[in-house]
Amino acid sequence: MSRLLVVDDEANIRLLYAEELKDEGYEVVTAASSAEATEKLQGNTFDLAVLDIKLKNESGIDLLQKLVKERHDMPVILCSAFSCYKDDFSAWLADGYIVKSGDLTELKQEIARLLAKKALKTKAEV
Amino acid sequence: MDRECCWNRDVIEQADCPKVCAGEEDMLVSKLQRVTEKCSECAVFHAEMARVRDNGNPLVPLLTEVLSENRRQKNQIQSLVSFLDSKTLEMRFLHELGYVLQSSVDLDEVLSVALTAITAGKGFGMNRAFLLLCDREQGVLKGYLGLGPRNQEEAGQVWNEIVQNDMDLQTLAQNFRLNKLSAERAKFHDLLEQLTVPLDNKEHILIKALDGKRPIMVEGAFQHPDVPPELARLLGVDTFLLMPLISRNRRVGMIIADNCITHRTITEEDMHSLETFGFPVAFAIERASLYDKLQVELNRVTEAGKKLKEQQELIVRMENMALVGRITSSIAHSVRNPLMIIGGFARSMLKNSPSSDPKRTFIESIVAETRQLEGVLDEILNYSDSLYPTRDFWDVNQLVETALHDTADSMTAQGYATSYSPGHDLPPVYIDFKQLSYCLRTVLQNDINGIGTDLSIAISSQSGDDCVIVRIEDGSRLVSQTELDHLLVPFSETRDLGAGLGLALCKTMLEKQGIPFVAQADVHQGIRYTITLPTRKEEQP
Repeated sequence: MSRLLVVDDEANIRLLYAEELKDEGYEVVTAASSAEATEKLQGNTFDLAVLDIKLKNESGIDLLQKLVKERHDMPVILCSAFSCYKDDFSAWLADGYIVKSGDLTELKQEIARLLAKKALKTKAEV
Repeated sequence: MDRECCWNRDVIEQADCPKVCAGEEDMLVSKLQRVTEKCSECAVFHAEMARVRDNGNPLVPLLTEVLSENRRQKNQIQSLVSFLDSKTLEMRFLHELGYVLQSSVDLDEVLSVALTAITAGKGFGMNRAFLLLCDREQGVLKGYLGLGPRNQEEAGQVWNEIVQNDMDLQTLAQNFRLNKLSAERAKFHDLLEQLTVPLDNKEHILIKALDGKRPIMVEGAFQHPDVPPELARLLGVDTFLLMPLISRNRRVGMIIADNCITHRTITEEDMHSLETFGFPVAFAIERASLYDKLQVELNRVTEAGKKLKEQQELIVRMENMALVGRITSSIAHSVRNPLMIIGGFARSMLKNSPSSDPKRTFIESIVAETRQLEGVLDEILNYSDSLYPTRDFWDVNQLVETALHDTADSMTAQGYATSYSPGHDLPPVYIDFKQLSYCLRTVLQNDINGIGTDLSIAISSQSGDDCVIVRIEDGSRLVSQTELDHLLVPFSETRDLGAGLGLALCKTMLEKQGIPFVAQADVHQGIRYTITLPTRKEEQP
């Protein structure tokens, strides 16, 4: 079972993601801030992370840069209410970009695509 | 029998005095006036005086001397009167000239007046005059305008016309400017073209006159040691006058005047008169030239002011739009999260509710409404995104040179050599300067991270059909077309390729402006980027 880390400052969104993604067969761990995410990352392995760009008093982009540096094997999907971040240079470090929507189909498809790709890469390396 | 002299009679008849003419009847009754004005020139009076002297009158020699002195003084007075008359005429002419020159700031008008004054019979009456002006930018004294007949026949025709029309100086000058200026320019074109002397040629007689700030009368031009033979041949006269035009100690130009038709001697007096005339002319020419320059600058400033005003209005409009954009974006963001939660949970509930559930219709309504609201939000956010920074017409060379300047330090540090070959007469391009500048910098910097050994980047620009094409040829990065294409796709695994990430951003930025960005790779020769910048506004998307 793939483990996903969901980082969003909105409790209801974390809940929604957790419920929906568990239904898809993933193990979901949520965090409300960068600090909490960093804490949960320590000593744990995740297959993929879903990050909100606008966290309360911090930027999801900063967390993204940290993840790219420290967990370069873990794909990251950015989720934002703004589509404009798609053109932001630093946002391009992420493997995927999703504009938030009540319809989570696109997010689920992107997660499945990146996990499949990661699995293929791992298999090739072995 | 000898005629009897009438000198000692108070009243005489007309027939008594051979010197009193018709119209001088007053003298018939004025002995004093007759004696002082007529007797000294009268042979009868002189015979009478000889007779009296022979009779031993001692006063006669004295009287003869007094009368002789009187006659000398009379002649002198007459000569002075005539001199004063000519000076009065000259003063009147200079006054008229000054008035005309002062009332004009048009260079052609001033020059017309000046040359007309020199050549008109009412003025200095020279046959022909050439005006040369100092071109400080080119560092030459250059023939500008000529006036006068080329041969005897033309001279007769022109002078007859002037006599018949009896025009004052201003009318003559206006007439010349309106009807003859172009023709005279064309007539003397070949000659004026050859009348060009570098201002630093201190040995040339024209420059000597100019630097000496004094007129020079040239006589015997064909043998004159200081006159270049080609100048004498060009003018075709042996005698001419060089009059420098100096204003506020600055060299303005030179007038060359001669009497090529009548060959009348140019006197010292002519020279001094022309020298007096030279000052207001030089001043008027300089003033008219400065006025011309002022006018050009004024137009430039007016144009710049207009552009500035437009820019200010644009900035205000953009700021307003940007503010609207920020507000709508902020509102949309605030709305999107709750909407997403409502829609998300509604979908979740819908997914988990059986088809027989009577509340399913309500949940479906919530899903449909949230979907519609999300659509509206997308539109609003897309509108906010569409409030692009302004585009304007920019100089391509400035764009490239700015990018090269900004990256110069890092390029040099990496050992790169850059070169730029600008195209000729490039039209301005309609672009977002900041974005384009960023893209060029990124392409250049991207190349710095290259892997080849040929560390040279050549940039060139050239005009195309309604566009300017900028090419950047980099021999350092030896990649395949497939690899390069991969670099240009956002959200691919670009992180492994380092600086390639910037290229994808550039491509997106340029495409948003409707600017084609083509990157062609050759594993042996490197990468060639081609950016086609539009020169027309309407071509923008």
